Amino acid sequence: MKKAFSIAVSLVFAAAGITGCGATNLSGGVTPADSAVLSGTVKTGGSTSVEKVMTALIYQYQDENSEVSVNYEMNGSGDGIKNTISGLYEIGHSSRELKTDGTEDGLDAVAYAIDGIALVVNKANAVNGLTTEQVRDIYIGKIENWSEVGGEDALITVVTREASSGTRSAFAEIVGLEKADDPETSIVPNATTCDSTGAIQTAVTQNANAIGYMSFSDADEANIKILAYNGIECSEASLKDGGYTLKREFYLITKTGATLSPAAQSFVDFVLSAEGQEIVAANKLLPID
Amino acid sequence: METSITRSRGSKAPIEAVMNCVFLVCGLTAVASVVLISIYMIASGAPAVAKIGAPRFLAGQIWNPESGKFGILPLILSSITATGLAILIALPVAISVAVYLTHIAKERTANAILFLIELLAGIPSVVYGLLGAILIAPIIFKIQTALGLPMSGSLASASIVLVIMILPTIISVSVSSINAVPKEYNDISLALGSSKMQSIVKVILPAGKSGIVSGIVLGVGRAIGETMAIMMVAGNAPIMPELLKPARLLTVGVSMEWAYSSGLHREALYGIGLVLFAFIMIINVFLSFALKNGGAKR
Repeated sequence: MKKAFSIAVSLVFAAAGITGCGATNLSGGVTPADSAVLSGTVKTGGSTSVEKVMTALIYQYQDENSEVSVNYEMNGSGDGIKNTISGLYEIGHSSRELKTDGTEDGLDAVAYAIDGIALVVNKANAVNGLTTEQVRDIYIGKIENWSEVGGEDALITVVTREASSGTRSAFAEIVGLEKADDPETSIVPNATTCDSTGAIQTAVTQNANAIGYMSFSDADEANIKILAYNGIECSEASLKDGGYTLKREFYLITKTGATLSPAAQSFVDFVLSAEGQEIVAANKLLPID
Repeated sequence: METSITRSRGSKAPIEAVMNCVFLVCGLTAVASVVLISIYMIASGAPAVAKIGAPRFLAGQIWNPESGKFGILPLILSSITATGLAILIALPVAISVAVYLTHIAKERTANAILFLIELLAGIPSVVYGLLGAILIAPIIFKIQTALGLPMSGSLASASIVLVIMILPTIISVSVSSINAVPKEYNDISLALGSSKMQSIVKVILPAGKSGIVSGIVLGVGRAIGETMAIMMVAGNAPIMPELLKPARLLTVGVSMEWAYSSGLHREALYGIGLVLFAFIMIINVFLSFALKNGGAKR
């Protein structure tokens, strides 16, 4: 449903972009090839998780629009959203959804890429899938043995990412582990902690009883087993049709109702265009359409 | 005094004055680096310690940046435990090896072994980490399973890796300190009727004690500052140290969360750096103290 919503928003945005273009066409009679007319600086900033794809998008965009310079300050989704509200950024970058507790109202989030989070275990593990409750219970230490979730009689080694990792916060939020104060909703303190996707993969490859989570695009099925989540296999297809819900989207954040500068608007259009989406796919992410 | 020296030598070799200057600048560069690092560490680490509160920072038992808890006691204790264990295991081995190399082995054998030990000292720590993860961790996994614990990286694996890493340091320092014991001590002891072993244990080792002590201190310095190898085998969970459970050491505490941290969290990581820096400073002061004592005795 959330995905449907974001697609709707993105369609609205795309439509706005098209009408914007149309207007220029009417008044100035220019063609799309006239994009070099655009100039100025677009201030953007936020999430560090989107760095790879966003940098690629910005390079390509600036290549085609040499008069426009798109700034990108990497300081985390929280700052990206905050600074978009304050007006410091025209476009904020976020790798999480907007909060609905009233602190982040008045913003539009346009999803442009999907990053799946794969639950990974050792290849020798007999378990094929887990539900949200099971994953949460494993991570808070309530389920300690694989036999409780249909596996062999062996103690589970919980593997997690370090605090402040974007993947960790997205995983925690989706599974329901976001309240770090409450032992019922926080990852067990004795969980093995890895500082990178690669370290997670190594830990799970070496330890027959380990469970971890990592970006789907980086998971190498030659060495590890990817679990189904709530009965749905993690695949490009299930990510696309919305069946697989353990995923996060990358968003462009803008103020609701605000008119973007022509340069900013053309950048948003570019990200959502077929060309922009190709760059998204080239960075091992799923395009939104 | 300085001017009179320069003047008296000035006529002979003006180049000496120039070279004096060059060496002085080199020496000052080294001193300046230490001073700058000290100032930088204190300037960037102290604010976080002050904000969090020194008792809550140093004696707090929970490290959970997500809920604003910055207690590094588990990290401090894990570092001390791992280093202490490593020294306890490495020391007897290192001394035995040193005794063997200096008094028992034939010279050619001793030289060959010493060469290999020095090679050991030059292996990058990431290689030790790999070995630990591939060879030591699986053994610990079996022990953990037998004792009803989940298989994971552990303080034990970390300590064993540290033992291998600090052995060459302690051995080579011990060998040179034993070699520095005058040969007559051994001769007299043997002439007085003691056996070879008695002579080694009761005469030579006590005479070379101060050198061995500095070997230990150097080993502690190396162990407490090790990061990469430890991160690969320790499991890195910030909990109170237990031999067969994951442990996060001070060095790992800083490097692990550095990349994405911000605000008070990042400042707290500087704070950990400051604590580590203080640890190493104390060890070094102790080291120079031990070295000076050794010099006086000899």
